[in-house]
Amino acid sequence: MLAMNKFKILGAAVITVTVSLFVTSCKDKRSTGWEYAPNMYEHIAYDPDQKNPNFKDGKTAQLPPKGTTPVGFVRFDYPNGNEGYEKASAEVKNMMAITDKNLADGKALFITFCAPCHGAEGQGDGEVTKHGFPPPPSYSKGNSSRGGAMKDLTDGKIYHTITYGVNAMGSYASQLNPDERWKVVMYVHHLQTL
Amino acid sequence: MSNISLILKQFSRSVLLIAGFAILGFSARAQGDAAKGEGIFKANCTACHKLDQKMTGPALGPVITADTDDKWLTKWIQNNKALIAAGDAKAVKVYNDNQQGNMTVFATLSDGDVANVLAYVRTEYKAMQEKAKAAPATAAAADSGPSNLVIFGLIAVIVIAFIVILLLNKVIGTLERLLLNKKGLAVEEVEVDDKAAARKAEFKKLLKNKKLVGFFIVCAVICGGSWQWVTLWNTNVHTGYQPVQPIKFPHDLHAGVMKIECQYCHAGAFKSKNATIPSLNVCMNCHKSVDRRMDASAPSTEIAKIYTALGYDPATTKYDSTKAKPVQWIRIHNLPDLAYFNHSQHTKVGGLKCQTCHGPVETMQEVYQYSPLTMKWCIQCHKRTEVNYKGNAYYDNMIQVHDKIKRGEKVTAAALGGIECGKCHY
Repeated sequence: MLAMNKFKILGAAVITVTVSLFVTSCKDKRSTGWEYAPNMYEHIAYDPDQKNPNFKDGKTAQLPPKGTTPVGFVRFDYPNGNEGYEKASAEVKNMMAITDKNLADGKALFITFCAPCHGAEGQGDGEVTKHGFPPPPSYSKGNSSRGGAMKDLTDGKIYHTITYGVNAMGSYASQLNPDERWKVVMYVHHLQTL
Repeated sequence: MSNISLILKQFSRSVLLIAGFAILGFSARAQGDAAKGEGIFKANCTACHKLDQKMTGPALGPVITADTDDKWLTKWIQNNKALIAAGDAKAVKVYNDNQQGNMTVFATLSDGDVANVLAYVRTEYKAMQEKAKAAPATAAAADSGPSNLVIFGLIAVIVIAFIVILLLNKVIGTLERLLLNKKGLAVEEVEVDDKAAARKAEFKKLLKNKKLVGFFIVCAVICGGSWQWVTLWNTNVHTGYQPVQPIKFPHDLHAGVMKIECQYCHAGAFKSKNATIPSLNVCMNCHKSVDRRMDASAPSTEIAKIYTALGYDPATTKYDSTKAKPVQWIRIHNLPDLAYFNHSQHTKVGGLKCQTCHGPVETMQEVYQYSPLTMKWCIQCHKRTEVNYKGNAYYDNMIQVHDKIKRGEKVTAAALGGIECGKCHY
């Protein structure tokens, strides 16, 4: 009798544990589940991508005030448009030393930010163009829409285009800081010779 | 009477014949050229132009269909810059109407090539318009999955049927009782009462059985205990959390199919504490030119949400910042304030791949939290990861300091980075 009971108790225990495990494991994927001390998860400080009632437009990420230059940035006072483009071409030169390290950095940045359209070799055959995105001209063989061959693009012209974008290309100013842009310019010059 | 009809018949026949020949002749000329023009068009023009939509350049279909001055068009296509420089009134107007955007000079295209392109644009645009006229009917027919209304209707029908069955059962029960009452068989009810009393007595007896009660209490304790254990174990652990985002951004398409690297959008991951949620201008790097999936006939409603959030009008390609409204993404990976985590330290210095912690995001249509982000999880990895100290100035310095200590020289806190700003001001 006792042995029988023991067996029953053991069996019931196994069943209850598995059932309760099963019940608690199927939780709602749309919810974070139970939280203890949630005030540690909901910060008092604002994250840059959070909304913020203290500003008029409700965003935490505010633009720097007009006319200010962030630390480490070099001003580029050439307006978007044909005039600024030509002026930058004549006046702006890449002051960064052409070293293996800078070229390697430039290549890595180019692969990440430019190669999806321009292709790893700069031939305008990146992955997204194979899925229907309008292909850009080749750096070594194509013609620029603003006149001249792509292989003759100067420091200033490439930097101006990265900063403001042109045609189907958007501005990369938010993704690349000035130093990174110069590294990319350096690498594009290498692609022009291919 | 018959005379008139005969004349009409002959007249209409000749008109039809002439019209037929004209169409045949025209289309034969146009089509012969269009096939060649298609290749040239796709190689040179599609970077900036679409036939039915404004892109970088104007929509070519309506423009070239309306403009029949092929000589001028040829000149424009072959060297638009020369035309503008020469002060051609029409060229300058086109240039200014398109925000002084530049068009590539196609000096290599011959007059014949340009004629082929023009023919292609005109015939293709005509075909597109005819297709568009025929399309709405088929599109409406194709979209016929089971709607919510149908599903709710079915559920309602099932519920109503269930209620009807219950009611009928009750009615049958009362009718049977009535029938039995009429026959004078009310005695049975007493028997039923007896049965209930017997059951009650049995239950009371069972309650007094200590072994049985104990057994149930043990079961309840085990059940409740394991539930509590699992609940406490999973409290503050958000693994698998997959909230509905305001825009259904498919990572599998962007990172998987298109092979766009993670930091193209999350540009901060390699240089800052935060990986950063991309601002919408990053979306617009591509979605200025892409408003639908490649095979879709209508613009994507999800991409349209980007345009609405920016106050962007795809028809005029202009922004209206007064209508802009930021997208409120829902945070998935959320560390509590008690823990400090820096993305660049892990990706740049540690050389970790994003997928190590975030899982196979390039296969996720909807992103979920892959790792538990618990302290145990962090520590487990920190215990197992071997440090690559070669070519790292921090460890070079450390080794130098250690050599000094071995030689018995004086070592200050400053030598170990003790006067770095971040040691006190964090």
